[in-house]
Order: sequence, then structure tokens, then C-alpha cells
Amino acid sequence: MYDNDTIAAIATGYTSSAIGIIRVSGKNSIAILKKVFSKDIDFEANRVYYGHILDKNGTIIDEVLVSVFMAPRSYTGENSFEVNCHGGYVVLNAVLERLFEVGARMALPGEFTKRAYLNGKIDLSQAEAISKIISSKSKRALSVAQRQLSGKFSNKLDKIRESIIFIMAENEVVIDHPEEELSNTTKQEKVNKLLSIKEKLQSILKSSEFGNYLFEGIVLSLVGRPNVGKSSLLNILTGLERAIVTDIPGTTRDVISEQFTIRGIPFTILDTAGIRKTDDPIESIGVSKSKEAIKNSDIVVAIFDGSKDLQEEDIRIIEDLQKIDKKIVAVVNKIDKKIILDKNRLNFKNIVEVSCTTKKGIIELEDMLSKLSLGDINDADIVSLNAKQKNSLKNSIEICDLLIHDVKKDIDPALFAVDIANLVDELDEIVGRITNEDMLDSMFKNFCIGK
Amino acid sequence: MIYPKKYDVIVVGGGHAGCEAALISARLGCDTLMLTIAIDSIGAMSCNPAIGGLAKGHLVKEVDVFGGEMARNIDETGLQFKILNKSKGPAVWSSRAQADMVAYKYRMKTVLEHQEHLDTKQEMVDEILVEDNKIVGIKTNVGNEYLCRSVVITTGTFMKGKIFIGLNEYEAGRAWEPPSLKLSDSLRNLGFRVSRLKTGTTPRLDARTINFDVLTTQPGDDDPIPFSFRTENFNRPNIPCYLAYTNEKTHDIILSNLDQSPLYSGMVSSLGPRYCPSIEDKVVKFFEKKKHQIFLEPQDANSTEIYADGLHTSLGYEVQLNFLRSMKGLEEVEIMRPGYAIEYDFVDPTQLKHTLETKKIKGLFMAGQINGTSGYEEAAAQGAVAGINASFFVQKKEPFILGRDEAYTGVLIDDLVTKGTKEPYRMFTSRAEYRLILREDNTQLRLAEKSFNAGLMRKEDYAIVKEQIRKIDEIKKTLKNRFLVPTPETNNKLLSINTDIIKTKTDLAKLIRRVEVSYDTLRTIVTDLPPIDKFTKQEIEIDFKYEGYLSLQRQQIEKFKKYETLKIPDDFDYNNVNGLSNEVKGKLMDIRPVSVGQALRIQGVTPAAISILIIYLRKHSDKRFKIAN
Repeated sequence: MYDNDTIAAIATGYTSSAIGIIRVSGKNSIAILKKVFSKDIDFEANRVYYGHILDKNGTIIDEVLVSVFMAPRSYTGENSFEVNCHGGYVVLNAVLERLFEVGARMALPGEFTKRAYLNGKIDLSQAEAISKIISSKSKRALSVAQRQLSGKFSNKLDKIRESIIFIMAENEVVIDHPEEELSNTTKQEKVNKLLSIKEKLQSILKSSEFGNYLFEGIVLSLVGRPNVGKSSLLNILTGLERAIVTDIPGTTRDVISEQFTIRGIPFTILDTAGIRKTDDPIESIGVSKSKEAIKNSDIVVAIFDGSKDLQEEDIRIIEDLQKIDKKIVAVVNKIDKKIILDKNRLNFKNIVEVSCTTKKGIIELEDMLSKLSLGDINDADIVSLNAKQKNSLKNSIEICDLLIHDVKKDIDPALFAVDIANLVDELDEIVGRITNEDMLDSMFKNFCIGK
Repeated sequence: MIYPKKYDVIVVGGGHAGCEAALISARLGCDTLMLTIAIDSIGAMSCNPAIGGLAKGHLVKEVDVFGGEMARNIDETGLQFKILNKSKGPAVWSSRAQADMVAYKYRMKTVLEHQEHLDTKQEMVDEILVEDNKIVGIKTNVGNEYLCRSVVITTGTFMKGKIFIGLNEYEAGRAWEPPSLKLSDSLRNLGFRVSRLKTGTTPRLDARTINFDVLTTQPGDDDPIPFSFRTENFNRPNIPCYLAYTNEKTHDIILSNLDQSPLYSGMVSSLGPRYCPSIEDKVVKFFEKKKHQIFLEPQDANSTEIYADGLHTSLGYEVQLNFLRSMKGLEEVEIMRPGYAIEYDFVDPTQLKHTLETKKIKGLFMAGQINGTSGYEEAAAQGAVAGINASFFVQKKEPFILGRDEAYTGVLIDDLVTKGTKEPYRMFTSRAEYRLILREDNTQLRLAEKSFNAGLMRKEDYAIVKEQIRKIDEIKKTLKNRFLVPTPETNNKLLSINTDIIKTKTDLAKLIRRVEVSYDTLRTIVTDLPPIDKFTKQEIEIDFKYEGYLSLQRQQIEKFKKYETLKIPDDFDYNNVNGLSNEVKGKLMDIRPVSVGQALRIQGVTPAAISILIIYLRKHSDKRFKIAN
């Protein structure tokens, strides 16, 4: 929604900190600021003012610094200001309440960014980048999001779009000027052009998969029969950095997941409680349960006890894993002991030998996990797209195939025009050149308050 | 004098827009007066002696369904008929005919003279009379004041027309005919934005001095198809055109004499059409091209005058003669009339509604080149729509508006009133988003009902179309309900018509969807299928073969309509909508789009601005809805 209201929200989140920032935006921002600020001055753009926020009786709520931005040179494109208060929920809330008293209202989730989009300050792929900046779990993810925000990705798509428009124009000339003698591009040239567009789109799609890894995290599953050291390995991996334990309410019981990062890439292991519990030899893990874990993961880490020969259950796990199309790392644990296990029988491409006791081989394991997730991709090529945008990209690639088929079969140019117009539409959906209300709504709903 | 007879509709101008406007208005029962500078020039072809062409053929056929005359007129006076783009799909087929331009204008004049409710007078209109922003009449050069309820202005290139031949210039509306010098000032005084455009024409050559033996012959189709769905017993001649080429010597002559061109010497600064460039433009801009093709077309059946299509020029007479004589076959050519450039006043069409009525003055309509277009067919289509709406305005009927999803005429008018134009606007198939649906072949099938319901189509003509539709549906049904089973005998028959065998029970509709199968070839193996006429055959084949794409376009139309039906009230105040930039606000207030769909097509209105508008409108209509409950 969009209206004349001036909106306000705490921009720094609801945790205790040294300072907290409240952001205000809207037509009446400056009038509102004048009502609550201790000094009566004519505010100028891009300046910082020192003073106090006063309540309705003139009593000081907090000592603050206020930064003023004027339309259109602000984040939202509207008049706006930011109040740097002392941190802490009580103070921030008191300032916010005071702003509401004099005419501001609480910002809806994503409303600041939505206004920035509606005022033409950013396009949709940049908006997506902002939501990623906010939720970035690692520095590396943050820098990738920043690059996307700067519009580099939008420019890349624009260039592809231009080359499509050129093919469209060539096609139209043939239709509308049949009596002109035109130097037609050959079939092969057309196919090559379309192939190159398709390749570019495919590489973007691939980079967006990496984007997913970088922003959403990679789901790891640890499988292995009881007592091979799943629990120990879990502790090592999660203990390398501060483990963040989150409760995700499940339908039947609470599933505990733990997150950690390796080389700036966030990883998640689901059902860690289950792993810890079922490592108890009495309560052995059922095959069906490990299958479930494998299905939901990006990378499977299969752990074997190197000090013993393969057991029947190990063999069943190996067989199961060979049937599925997932990235698999086999970990041979307990190399501090005498190695009895025959590695050749594991039959996996990626094998790492570790000792959870001496931590030997752990760095190699981390290297392996990092390589399997992002490979050697350059951070500059990583983009973050939401599900809808990715879907449009997949559709675009399919349309490229269709167009190549069209050209090869000498399709009627009027029909080719319909197919290629669809391609432009799909690309336009990605950056939001086409107005699609549903997409806007779903997109901006995902923003946290404050941005 | 104040003329005693009062008219419902006065049409100013007797060109292709004026003729359609006057005829349709009179046919709708309005007392109509056509005023023209020269009665002898009614229906004149100022430029090429041809009707139709890419996307233009569509317009002619649409005018035919709206009760206009152009299609009938060319069917009676054409010298050769041809379907262009026949090697491509049916969506982009276009009819074109060479006209006998003398016979064409003579027949048109006769039709006008015999039309009930229509008077034709030779007077020049100098002033538009307006009271309270409403039309009351016009004033002419002989001192007459005619009172009326609505006016359609179709001045072509006549308002302040100025002709350039080399460095010579003189005032004229067309060739040697007098211009209208006062009318555009009257429009300016009423507050209209009036600017200049440029166009040009080619030299006319003497056929006796052309060596046709060395030129390529370009005949029409052997089996010609008329423009009008009402034309019966169609039997016209097939007189050929000829193809000639410029060469490097021609180009040298042009390049070394550019200082003789008013376009290059800065005498003319207004914009001409990019798609119909002068020969000097072609030579300068496409320097690498060693030759350009020139079509030599007969102007009429009896005279020796030949139109040199592709040689629009404003170069001086001597240069024209020299470059013509440098071409093969034209070594000894004589010019009968030189080519020229013409500059004229036009009214910015964004000041019009979709009815072609001006937003400013009630009852005042404009059509044709005055709205910035180029081409007889574009003019006729606008003339028809302006004539219809001027009549409906008088008769207090609902306006007649064509959507972009309904007709090329709808696309043309929506483009003009939404985007305006900086160069003479020409129709192209690529301007129509839904051209697979808006084909030339199905014009009457898609527009008859709308036309009949608006009272534009006679009952007997509607009956013809309804019968065509019935026949098509019947055969389609037959084909869907007849099955072939994969017996060896059937499959042998299929192989005999060069198509793949079937493996399961298959209906005939599915077979006809195959590229290589036609109704006729199918009949050779399913012998009891009824014989059908060419038109029905063509329509069912298109419907089946293009089914997937047609349904895709129908879906796109549904999407498009979502925004078209989101109306913006006439009195909508954009100042209340926060978040729109001043630039966007200015554009929206200027054009005053009737729907969000139209707003989306205004140049410079961003998708983000549209989002704001939609959100605002939704919120408001919600409020009204709540109050109503």
C-alpha cells in the first residue's frame, strides 16, 4: 500500500545495544521532527543535528543525533530522518511512541523498501538484495548482496535484454517490409545468438544456486551407524564458530537445527538433537529416518569407523547413498586408532580421513565441504534471486530452446514474435519492469520492519 | 450569410478521411455537409497509386466492416491485386492493390454525390465557431456561416502547406492546389497545440520514355482476392508494375547535389517519416548499399504517367532529371511532374479522446493527417471512427471505441491519443500486440457483431457474415467428430498424401493440424467430406493449425483487459496521489488516460508509478464500496 502517511520504525532491531536508530519517512517527516526536537531550526538535507527528543510536556526522553534527508535524495525517495538514540528497548520505544503521538504511524514490514521501489530508487533485484543484506549470515554473503544492490546484476540482465530486442527487431523488419531487399542474417547466426543468450541465462541461474547456498545456507546431513562418531563430528563442526541454536516448531515434535559457517558459507544440520540422542547405542537410528534426513539435504556426510571393518549397516548405507543424486562426502573417523577399514570398499569420490579426537583431517573436511558448495565461483558472479525470479529465469531458458527450435524449423515469423515476446516478459519480471501486483505484495511482505 | 440549412455533421476536407467520415455520417442518418477546397480532388491520391500494403490492408478491410467505402472503391477501380507476405503465416498477409487513381477518385465523388443526407460544397473553411467549449458551426472563405452540432476536420497536408522543390518553395496544399492558410490559426486560437510535419512524394514519369524491356515485370496475383467481403463477381485486370534500380552513379549525383536539398540545407527542419525516407536520406544513411529498388507503377489505365515508388525527393528539378536518367531503362526518361517535399500543420493527437473528439471542444473531431499520420488507409480508418462518433455524438449514442485487442484501427487510435507522434505515423503489424488474432482474413468475422450492434452494418451484410461463421463452425465440428482408425488401409492412404501414419484412433481435426495436411488433401482420402469454398477452408485451416498460439494470444488479451477495465475517473485528481514524480504527474494530467492500461502505455510512466496508481485506485474504490454497503 502507498499513501501520504509518515511511517516510523526501529531500524536496529529489538536487542540491547549501545545505540539504536529510529527511521522516519514520509511527506510530513520534517514537520514531525520539529514537533519533537528540542531546538527550533530549519533542517537542511544531509546534515546531522545534536539535541534532545522531548515528550509532550517538554521533558527530555533521550539525548540524540538526528540525520536529515530530503526527497528525492533519501533511501525511500521521500523526506526522511533518522534518530540515533541510546540503545535499549525502553528508550527506543519511548521515542517511537512520541513520534506516533505527533502523526507518524508504525511502518509495515518492508514498507521503507517498498516506498524506495515505488519512488523509482531501486528495482526489484536491488530490493531483493536489500532483504539479503539484512538477513546475511556471513560477511561473504553480505558483500555479494551489496554488489547486487549497486545494480550490477540489473545491468547484466539489461544487456541480455538488449540483444533479445535486437533479434525481435530483425524479425519484425522481415514481416513489415516484405518488398525491401534486406540483408538477412543466416539461420545459423540466429541460432548462435540465441544459444549465447541461453548460455548467459544458464550461468545466471547457476550463480543464483550459489546465491541460495550463500544466503539460505547449505543443509548437511550426517549419516552413519551408531558409534561411528556422528555426535563428535557435529560438536567439532558447530563448535568451530559460535553455534546458533534455533527452535523451529515442527508439527509433531521440536526439531533442533544448528548452524555454523565454513569459509563464510553458512551450513545447517537438521535434527541435531536426534543425532546426539541416537548415537546412544541402545537407541539405534532407523534406516527410514536417515533416508528422510538425506532427502532434505544438499550435502550428505557419511561417517564410518576406520578402526573397524565395514558392518552390515554400513554396507546398507553405502548402497542407499549410491542410489541417490546428492553430493556425498565419506568421512573415515578414528584415524588416531589402527585403521582396519578398506577405503576401496567405500566406493565414493570424496573421502576424507579424520580423527574427532585429535582433530586431524578436520581442515581437509572443511575444504572439501566448501569446495562442494561454492566450487571455484567468483563472488562477483553470485546473485541472489527469490523463488519467483528463479522460476522466470528457468522459463526464459526453456523459451530459448523453443526459439532455437523455431529458427531451425523455419517457423512463421509472426509466431516466432509471440515466443520471443514471452522471453522479454519473463526477463522483465525478474527486475520488475513489468508491474505484477502479486509479485510486489509477496516480495515486500518478506522484509523485516525498519527497512 | 448564415446559411439557413442546419447540419448535424460538417466534414472539412474531401480526402480519404473526409470521404469516409461524410459517407458514414450520412449513412447513419445525420444531415451531413462536406466542404472541400476542390470538388474535383475528392478522393485524390496525392502520393502512390495504391491501396493497402502491410498492415494497411487490415485497415481497409476494417473500414469496410464499419460501413466505409475504401474497400468497395478499390475493388471497382484496381489495376492489379496482390497478397503480400504470402510466404509467411496468415497473421501477416496483407492485401495491396494498384489503383487507377483517376477512376478511383471519380467513383468516390460519384458515390458521395448520390449519398442521401449528404451535401457537398466547394468552399474553404477558415474558422471554427465555438461557444462554451462546444462546437456551433464554421465560417468559410466566401463569407458563409454554417451552423451544425459537430465538425470533423480532415485537412490532410493543406493547413499552411508549403512545397519544396530544390531551393524553390511555394505555398500549396498538394502539388499545385491552394493551401488552407487560416484554419490552423483558428485552432491555435482555440488553444490547440499545432506543430509541423514533413512528407514527400516522387517524380511522375512519362511511360513513352521508359525502356520497359530491360526492367523486371511485377504482376499481381493470378487469382486475386477483393478487399470488401461484400464484393461479388470480382473481375479486375492484372496490369504489371516494373522494377528498376538506382546505381552508384545515381548515388554520386545525389550526394554531390545535397546542397540543392531543402532537407539538407536546413530550409525544412520538421521531421519526415523514417520508414518512408527520401532517396537522398537513403543514400546518405545507408551509404554502404550500392543500389536501391524502385517500383514503377501505372497511375491509371489510360494515361502515360508512371509513379516512381521509392524515389521520394525534394531535390531540384535538374538533379531529379539527372539521377533518373542514370538508371537502367530510364536513360531517356521525361518527367511529367517533379517530386517534392511538403511541410504542413498538424494537431498533437494526444489532445484527442479515443473517439477522435478533442478533449477541449465538445463536438469537434479530427481525422487523418491532421492527427500526425501518413497514408490513405490510416486516414480512412480515422475518418470512419470520427464519422461514426460525430454521428453518435449528435444522436446521443454510446461512443464507438475499438480496443487494441479488437482492431488495427483501435491500435492506431490508441497509439495516437496515448503517445502522440513526432514523425508521420504509419501502421505496422508489429504495432499490434495481438496480430495473430487481428488478421486481415478474419476482419469481418471478428468485427461484424460489434459493427452490426452499433448500427454500422446492414442486416443483409451481417447475415452474410453470420452464414460464413456458421459454415466454419459446422465444418470444424465435423472434423472433430470424424475419426480414422489405424488400419493398414488407412495408413496407406495417409502415406499417399505424404503424411505420417497414425497409431491410435485419431480425429480429422488432429490430422489437419499437421503442416503438410490440408482440407483438400484430407478429402482425397476421406471422400465424403463436403466440398467447401476457399474462404471457409482457409479459416478452418488457420484455426486448427494455429490453435496453440491463438489460445496463447487469447490468454494475453485477458491479461491485457484486466488493466483496460481498471478505469480512471474523468475527474481524477493526480495531486492526491503521493509518490508520483512531477514529471509522471504532468504526463498523466496531460493525456488523462481512461484506464490503468492506457496509463501504462504512456511514455515515461514507470511501472512503479503504475503500481502506486493501482494501489491508490483500489483503496479508493474499496472505500466507495464500503460506503455503498
